[in-house]
Amino acid sequence: MRFVDFLAQVIRIAIPYLFAAAGGVMAEKAGVVSLALEGFMLSGAFAAVLGSFYSGSPWIGLLCGIVAGLLFGLVHAVASIRYRADQIVVGIAINLLVIGITRFFLRLAFDSSSNSPRVAGFSEPAQGNIFLASLSNPLVWAGLLSVPLLTWVMYRTPFGLRIRAVGEHPEAAETLGIRVPRVRYGAVALSGMLAAMGGVYLALDQHQFTDGMTAGRGFIALAAIIFGRWDPARAGIACLLFAAAETLQIQLQGTQAIPSQFVQMIPYVLTIVALAGVVKRSVPPAALGRSAD
Amino acid sequence: MSRRRFSKVHMHYDVAKNSTLATAVLALGILSSACSPAGENADVGKDVFRVAVLTPGPITDQSWNAGAYAGLLGIRDSLSALTSHIQVKTPAEFEENFEQYGSQGYDLVFGHGFEFQDAAERVGRKFPQTVYITTSGNRVAPNVSPMVFGLEEPAYLAGVMAGALTRSGIISTIGGTELPPVKSLFLAFIAGARSVKPDVRVLGSYVGNWDDASAGKEQALAQIQQGSDFIFQNADAAGLGTFQAAREVRGVYVFGANSNQNAVAPDVIIASVVIDLPQAFLSVAREVKERRFTSRVIRFGASSGVVKLVQNPELAHLLKPPLRLRMDSVQRLMSSGKIVPPRLDFVDTSGPSSK
Repeated sequence: MRFVDFLAQVIRIAIPYLFAAAGGVMAEKAGVVSLALEGFMLSGAFAAVLGSFYSGSPWIGLLCGIVAGLLFGLVHAVASIRYRADQIVVGIAINLLVIGITRFFLRLAFDSSSNSPRVAGFSEPAQGNIFLASLSNPLVWAGLLSVPLLTWVMYRTPFGLRIRAVGEHPEAAETLGIRVPRVRYGAVALSGMLAAMGGVYLALDQHQFTDGMTAGRGFIALAAIIFGRWDPARAGIACLLFAAAETLQIQLQGTQAIPSQFVQMIPYVLTIVALAGVVKRSVPPAALGRSAD
Repeated sequence: MSRRRFSKVHMHYDVAKNSTLATAVLALGILSSACSPAGENADVGKDVFRVAVLTPGPITDQSWNAGAYAGLLGIRDSLSALTSHIQVKTPAEFEENFEQYGSQGYDLVFGHGFEFQDAAERVGRKFPQTVYITTSGNRVAPNVSPMVFGLEEPAYLAGVMAGALTRSGIISTIGGTELPPVKSLFLAFIAGARSVKPDVRVLGSYVGNWDDASAGKEQALAQIQQGSDFIFQNADAAGLGTFQAAREVRGVYVFGANSNQNAVAPDVIIASVVIDLPQAFLSVAREVKERRFTSRVIRFGASSGVVKLVQNPELAHLLKPPLRLRMDSVQRLMSSGKIVPPRLDFVDTSGPSSK
C-alpha cells in the first residue's frame, strides 16, 4: 500500500463530506440549523443522474444536481425563514421528503426501486492507475477548493461578514441596515447547492443512482462542522480526519488481523473521542436556530 | 431588553404556530416513502389450491423479493392456484398476515426470509392445515419448513474459476455484513480457489451495510490496489460499487451474487452465483398440492438446478477448454457428493421441534 494510494482514497472519501460541510457551515453561520444536508445531497445525486442520463453529459448532470440543491435549499429557507417553522423539524422533513421523491422518480424514470442505469460520469478509467483516475475528476478539485474558498468568502467578503453578523446577533445586524432574512435566504440556498454537489460527486463517481446512496454522509458532515467549531478550515480538516479513519478501517480489514466488526468501529470511536475529548467546548453561532422577522 | 422580536417567548409562539407547516411537509415525506401493495383475491371456494407469499421488501427489487413474486406467479400459472401477495415490514405484521391466511384456509404460505421463522412457528401451531415455508429459515416444526439453498456449491465453482484465472495470485471477498450465510459462501469460494491454486492469497472485507455503493467501491479499490484481480461480492446494492471499481481497472473481474447480475456490468462480471427462486417455490408448491409434502429442512443443492453458477457469455473467451473441463468435473463430483464444499452450518437439523 503506497502512501499516495492511501492519500487518494482519503481524498475520494472526503469529497462528499467537504461539499456538505462547506454548505452546512454557510447556513449555520447565518443562524439556520442545517439538518437537511443529507436531503440536499441525495437530491443532487438523483438530479445529476437524471441530467447525465438524458443529456449524456456529466456537466449537465452537475448543473441539474446544483439546481435540485437550490430548490430544496429554497424550500428549507421559505419554511424556516419566511414561515419561521422549527428548523430542526424542517430539516428532518426535507430529508424524508427527498428519500420519498427520489424513490418515486426512480420508479417513474427508470422503472426500478433500487438503482438507475449507468450514466456518463467524469472519471475515465486510467488503465489501472486509480490515483490518476481520481485526480482527473473535476469535482475532486472543486471539493478540495470549496474549503479555502468558503474561508475567503466568510472572512474576507462583505457577504461573509453579513452572514456571520446575522448568525451571531441578528438584532445588531438589523440595526446596521442588514436585511436579515435576505442574507439567510442566500446562505441557505447556497448551502443547498454546495451540499448537492457532494451528492453529484457520489452519483457520478458511481455512474448511477442507488436508492439512499448518501447513506448518512450529510450527518457525518454535520458532525465535522461541530467538530470544527463552525470554522470552515477546521471543519474541512475534520472531514479529512473522518475520511482518513474510514480509509484506515478499509485498509485494516484487508489484513484480516482484527475482526471486521471492531475495525468498522474505528471512525465512530474516533468521532466520539474527538468530540468529547480533544475539542474544546464547541460554541455554535449565537443565534443558531432562532428565527427573525 | 427593549425589543422583544428575538426573545425566547416570542419565538416559541412562532414555533407552535408554524410547526404545522413543517409537520405537513414531514407527513408528505413519510407518505411518499411508504406505499405497499395489498393482497389479492382473498375469498374463494374451499377446493381451490391457495398460496400466499409475504415479502419483506418491494417485489420490484430485481432481486430477492422479485424472485419470490415470480415464483408465486409461476405457481399460479403451472398449478392453477389462487395466489395472494403482501409486503410486510414488522414482526407484528408477519404474524397478523400469517394468521389471516391461515384462517382463510390457505394451503401454503411462504415467509420470504430468515426473519419470518419465529412468526411462522407461532402461527403454524394454530393452523395445522396450512403449510408455512420460511425462505432461508433455520428450524422445522410439524407444518413449518425452512427452504435452504446450497449456494456453497456454485460458490465453490466460482472459486475454482478465480483460482485458475487469477494472474496476481490474489483474490478477495466483499460482504455486506458478517452474517453466517455470507461467511459460509466465502468459505466455499476460498476452498474452491485453493483446490486449484493452494498458495492463492485471499483478502476479505465487509462494507458494514448492504446499500452504500460508494463504500463498496472503496473497499473494492483497496483490495485491487493490494493486488486482487478476482472479487467475490455478496453485498446487494453495496456490491454495485464493486462492479464500478472493477470497471476502472483493467483486468479485474467480479462475481455476481444471488440473482443473475451478468447483464448489470457485462464487461466485468465473469459469472453469477444464482438462486432460481421461482423453481424452488414451484417445486415446494407442487409437493404440497400433490399431498406428498413432509415437514423437513428443504435443501436445494447444485443437483436440484435451483442454485447454479451462470457464466457471462460475453467473457466466455477467458475460460480456456482445460478450465471448462475441470469445472464440469468439479460440478459432477459435487452432484455426486464426492466433493463437499465447506459450509458454516447455521441450520438446526435436529428435526421437528415441539415447542
